[in-house]
Amino acid sequence: MEIDTVKERAGPREFSAADEMPLEYREAATRMIEFHANSEIMGAYLERPFIREAPSIDRKLAYSAKVQDEIGHGQLLYRAAESLGVKTREEMLDDLANGKGKFLNCFHYPMKSWPETAMIAFFVDGAAMRRQATLRRTSWEPYAHAMDKVCFEEGFHVKHGESILAELMTGSKKEQEMTQEVFEMWWPRIIQFFGPTDDKSTHHDFSADVGLKTQSNDDLRNLFLREYIPKAEKYGLEIPDEPRIRQRDDGTYEVEEGDLDWDEFFTIAKNEYEPGLGQINGRKEAQKAVQWVRDTLEWENAPEGAAKPQAAD
Amino acid sequence: MIWEVFRQEQRGDYHTHCGNVHAPDREMAKQFAAIQHARRKPTHSIWVVPKDEIGELDAEETSFGGVTDKSYRWAPTYKSDLDHASEVIDSEGQQAEAEKQRGDA
Amino acid sequence: MAGEIESVDELDADEQEALETLLFSLADDEFVFAERYTEWQVRSPTLESDLALSNNAQDELGHARLWYDVLEDFGHEEHELVYERDPENWRHSTLVEQEFLEGDWADAILRHYLYDVAEEIRLEALEGSSYAKIAGRVEKIQDEERYHREHAESWMERLADGEGLERLQEAVDRLFPHAMTLFEPCAPVPSAEEASDDEPRAAEDVEETVVEAGFRTESLEELREEWVDTVCPYLEGLGLETPAVERVHFDEYEYEVEADVVADERGRDGSHTDAWDDLHAEFTSTYRELGRSQATKIMEKPQ
Repeated sequence: MEIDTVKERAGPREFSAADEMPLEYREAATRMIEFHANSEIMGAYLERPFIREAPSIDRKLAYSAKVQDEIGHGQLLYRAAESLGVKTREEMLDDLANGKGKFLNCFHYPMKSWPETAMIAFFVDGAAMRRQATLRRTSWEPYAHAMDKVCFEEGFHVKHGESILAELMTGSKKEQEMTQEVFEMWWPRIIQFFGPTDDKSTHHDFSADVGLKTQSNDDLRNLFLREYIPKAEKYGLEIPDEPRIRQRDDGTYEVEEGDLDWDEFFTIAKNEYEPGLGQINGRKEAQKAVQWVRDTLEWENAPEGAAKPQAAD
Repeated sequence: MIWEVFRQEQRGDYHTHCGNVHAPDREMAKQFAAIQHARRKPTHSIWVVPKDEIGELDAEETSFGGVTDKSYRWAPTYKSDLDHASEVIDSEGQQAEAEKQRGDA
Repeated sequence: MAGEIESVDELDADEQEALETLLFSLADDEFVFAERYTEWQVRSPTLESDLALSNNAQDELGHARLWYDVLEDFGHEEHELVYERDPENWRHSTLVEQEFLEGDWADAILRHYLYDVAEEIRLEALEGSSYAKIAGRVEKIQDEERYHREHAESWMERLADGEGLERLQEAVDRLFPHAMTLFEPCAPVPSAEEASDDEPRAAEDVEETVVEAGFRTESLEELREEWVDTVCPYLEGLGLETPAVERVHFDEYEYEVEADVVADERGRDGSHTDAWDDLHAEFTSTYRELGRSQATKIMEKPQ
């Protein structure tokens, strides 16, 4: 298929493994889905210590289930990416381990205390849920199908996150103060979840033109702020003074971009931020240690004839 | 050989099982399936899979999803009076539906 | 008779103590086992096996929850049982508290297998428990355990085929003595209200009451025999060596393990390995840091 045809036909679930997609589309889609899959894994990796540290059995069960869901989402997403014929799951997981694989900014930061988990589970997952809902209309069908399942499951993540936040903010003074403190620390990172504004984003236009991306960074960020600023306030959190945010006449939010640390963001985006590297390497060691199991079972060996599903164009 | 047939109605849909055909090889299985299972119903794509390649696990052999209380992983368990975002409400609705169908709720 | 006792009020002091002690051993085993297995989440060899082990950890934790709930019949509550109890008052087998060395998937699988077989045998002996709440909960637990054992066996067979055999052997050597503690008699957990000069009853006496009162329909001896007779031939069939000695009488094979194979740290008597202190400190850290006095409940009380 020619790129122009792709752009003409671009629409929800329009393209699947049955179509011969041009390399540019396949590479853009792989990049996007791989980032998403990596983010599920690294988010899970960040949260997993809190399964152990949860302050009740039910909270422990919930975190175990949440982390399990995220691994499951990773499994779906790597498959959706693999189906494009550019990289295998093994290659993507190797890249994640060796520091080449990119993932969400939020998961490059350390998480040290229980109240921080609510920042991820309520706000970051809340942001992700909206984005995922829009991706049910993405043009790569396997990705859209993966989103069906992710969207079905993820409501529990946000509700569980909310429950933890509610408990903290109606808890002792110490708990409330801790939570406000971590909220101030995480708030700018959460806003940066959506990436740079549209004018600064390098890949956006193509992804939008071929229907991979169905809503712009700016739109998604606005929708998030509109939904979650009131929610944060309802639970008694004070929105930090910085970054300065004001509502325009049309209801959209203007964020003072200079108040956000974009240098840090771009360092993170290159996988050069220290704590993030710590996460990548920690996971790498754990995965290396079980390489012998994968080797024993030849887990990744494809049977004869199972060549990459896409012919080169 | 028996081949199980899966039909996708429209582009973007999921393939669902719709029956099977007898055929000596994959090529003929596809041809027969196209006639037997797709000549009337709207069809965008069909898959054929050798029956012998299909492994089955059913509810007699295993309790899918376990039997002890797993409500900790279901959104409707978490009570809140917050006006949640529409995608959270949708997710919760789908989960409530699934719970009902399983007979758990 | 199965399930005839509906309330602890029907029991005398010794029987109450025996029942409570039994429940502690059941609940603590499941909880600590599950706690260790959550370590494999996001660290398993493949995404698929990660999901499988997460499932098992959640099942076991759910079982622990069922048993801790029965302990509420004795006035206990989760926050005190799990988050405020002295580490030396825990009664789990030292098998389940063992650390996992990084990458030791062979341990993860073998430990699961050894534990699951013991569970299966133990649960069969609890099906006919005279205490209603025990008898009533066993079936659900058994249902979920079935998948666990099948899963462990699938893995054992595949690992034993290659490099995994050596690692499995190492795990057998290390874990077997601790697994034997599953069948040691359990000492009662001192209650806060007990007068400090009251001698606690000996574990053997408590165990005798457990069987006499019908809380468990088989003795620990019998459970251990059955366990040894199951796991040893199975492991040896895979090419592994166990501490068992095979006794043959015509066509009857019996496996026996010497009593001194049991690990020094029994668990059931409150003696634990160093690994336990670290583990305990970790899972109680948030509760302490936040100054909590209650454990959050999300789900309704188990039926």
